[in-house]
Amino acid sequence: MYKLLLTTIITTSIFLTLRQTTVPNTLSPEDEVAEILLQLGEEPVAHYPDTTLKGVSVEAGRGIMLTGFAPAPGGGTTNKQSKHYVCTACHNIEREDPDLSVSDPQARLEYAKRNGLPFLQGTALYGAVNRTSFYNGDYEQKYGDLVKPARNDLREAIQLCATECSQGRALEPWEMESVLAYLWTIGLKARDLILSDQDKTVIDQALAGDGDPSAALKLIKSKYLEGSPATFVAPPEDRKAGYPVDTVDIGNGQLVYELSCLHCHENERYSFFRLDDSKLTFQHLAKHFPKYTEYSVYQVGRYGTSPVPGSKPYMPNYTLEKLSHQQMEDLRAYIEFRAGKER
Amino acid sequence: MRNMLFFLLIILLADFTSASAQEVITQTFKDSRLVNIQSVETLSKRRLDVRIGHRFGDLLGDNGGWSTFYGLEQATDVMIGAEYGATDQLTVGFFRTKGAGALPDGQAGLRQVLNGTVKYALLQQGKEGGAPVSLTFWGVASASTAERIPDNPDIIRNFSTFAHRMAYHGQLMIASRLSDRIALQLTPGYTHRNVVAFQDENGLFSLGLGTRLQISRVFGLIADVTFPFSDYRTTENGFYPALGIGLEIDSGGHLFQLNFTNATGIMETDFIPYTTSNWLDGEFRFGFTISRLFNL
Repeated sequence: MYKLLLTTIITTSIFLTLRQTTVPNTLSPEDEVAEILLQLGEEPVAHYPDTTLKGVSVEAGRGIMLTGFAPAPGGGTTNKQSKHYVCTACHNIEREDPDLSVSDPQARLEYAKRNGLPFLQGTALYGAVNRTSFYNGDYEQKYGDLVKPARNDLREAIQLCATECSQGRALEPWEMESVLAYLWTIGLKARDLILSDQDKTVIDQALAGDGDPSAALKLIKSKYLEGSPATFVAPPEDRKAGYPVDTVDIGNGQLVYELSCLHCHENERYSFFRLDDSKLTFQHLAKHFPKYTEYSVYQVGRYGTSPVPGSKPYMPNYTLEKLSHQQMEDLRAYIEFRAGKER
Repeated sequence: MRNMLFFLLIILLADFTSASAQEVITQTFKDSRLVNIQSVETLSKRRLDVRIGHRFGDLLGDNGGWSTFYGLEQATDVMIGAEYGATDQLTVGFFRTKGAGALPDGQAGLRQVLNGTVKYALLQQGKEGGAPVSLTFWGVASASTAERIPDNPDIIRNFSTFAHRMAYHGQLMIASRLSDRIALQLTPGYTHRNVVAFQDENGLFSLGLGTRLQISRVFGLIADVTFPFSDYRTTENGFYPALGIGLEIDSGGHLFQLNFTNATGIMETDFIPYTTSNWLDGEFRFGFTISRLFNL
């Protein structure tokens, strides 16, 4: 235990030194949130990478996350982490919420459109190192006891994602540390937080040693979510009628189709089930929408799909925080409109 | 003159290639094969397509009907193998076929055949503007592993040298998706067999035509016909164009194809030179192909 503590302290010190940390005494937009918290007296988190391991690098981590491959320490390239997915199949590596303190799927969809991002089931990996809990809420329903070690441990959460969500191989220790090293390059910055002038003053004063560090800490943490909430919901009870909504927005549904459905299904990017812009495709989806088949968007959107013998990859479900009932109905309206079907 | 034509072709391809860097049609056909002929489709990089093809016996005619339960009790040709997407443009494959073709006098072509295939997408049709067609090359080298028949030097399977076991075929596929529902393909090809019967010819040009009509997202009708150009291959001599029609069922990842064709052999080195069955005599057979995609 003592040795573990010592190792953690040493690796954290090395990592912070390597990153040439500058201790801020006034807040600037490029300051990293994690460093500001440390300066204000926060305990270091456990997921700083161990850069003493052979082969660990930001580039290797980036390669694993974006392509599944990395340069192996002994030369050559690693085996692909997953045959089916890469991290960016389900997670953005850019900021995806206009206000990081709330999880609002409609605000996220509009932000995704403005910034040319896909609209995905997984939470953005941007800022993952600033979170303290993972696989939150109802994910226990899906993965059972597997989420327990992952809840408060980013390494375990990444490993669970590698082996279960992406149905790939577990990461080697140096790969895991490389992934963490990369994630630290996309941690939250001060500019990502919505801070009023008064907020900035409170933080500046605390950094300068004149204010209340604990109040500043609390203030900063209130500006982003330390864990991504996850509420599992079922398809509508009456699938023909759909979710009860006042009105539908076909344009909004088109955004969901293009930024979400097509992200994986266009040209069979991550799925063998191809979606495109043809009327036949929309007719197929519209016909199955109220049914109980794997072609029903209600079904796969809310429950996901399951691995079957011979085909391990599965589609993850959309939690309520990732796709609202309204957005689902907007999507249905768009699909039915393109199918030439009136409800 | 020839150099000038070649130069023009290069310019044309370069022009289309730069245009195709925009949006291209990525799926002209659903599968890498129609009924008998190959389609322009190549596999995505790191995709494996495991394929099983089967041709039963004659449905009707002298060898069909009730006595063979309309051909279902016979296996005329069976293909098993796989293709792999080395890159998005290059697909390589290896298949084993039983081999089924025969000359009208009954002399068998190659049997127990190993087939190595290579397919390269040269050009993709543009969605709006760009190339009007997709262009893909496909080639196969077939080697018979059948036991030689040394006593009869007049037959193909005498195999006096190893080279006699080989046959080759190369073709260019020119295809266009005319709409969401209709796609057409033209397939000029050349087949070379190292050894043939006395009256036959080693080299053989052919032209294939194929089409797909998409009925719904899941179901599609496909058809193709291949005409060999040869003075010897006439209906009077007992040869017929290989004509197939089929139904494609796409379940996403799996593709099932049910078909009827008068061709007995499945591979091009087999059905192009050796189709001697006539639809009008009931000499067509039921067949199916199962394709399963895997990520590697």
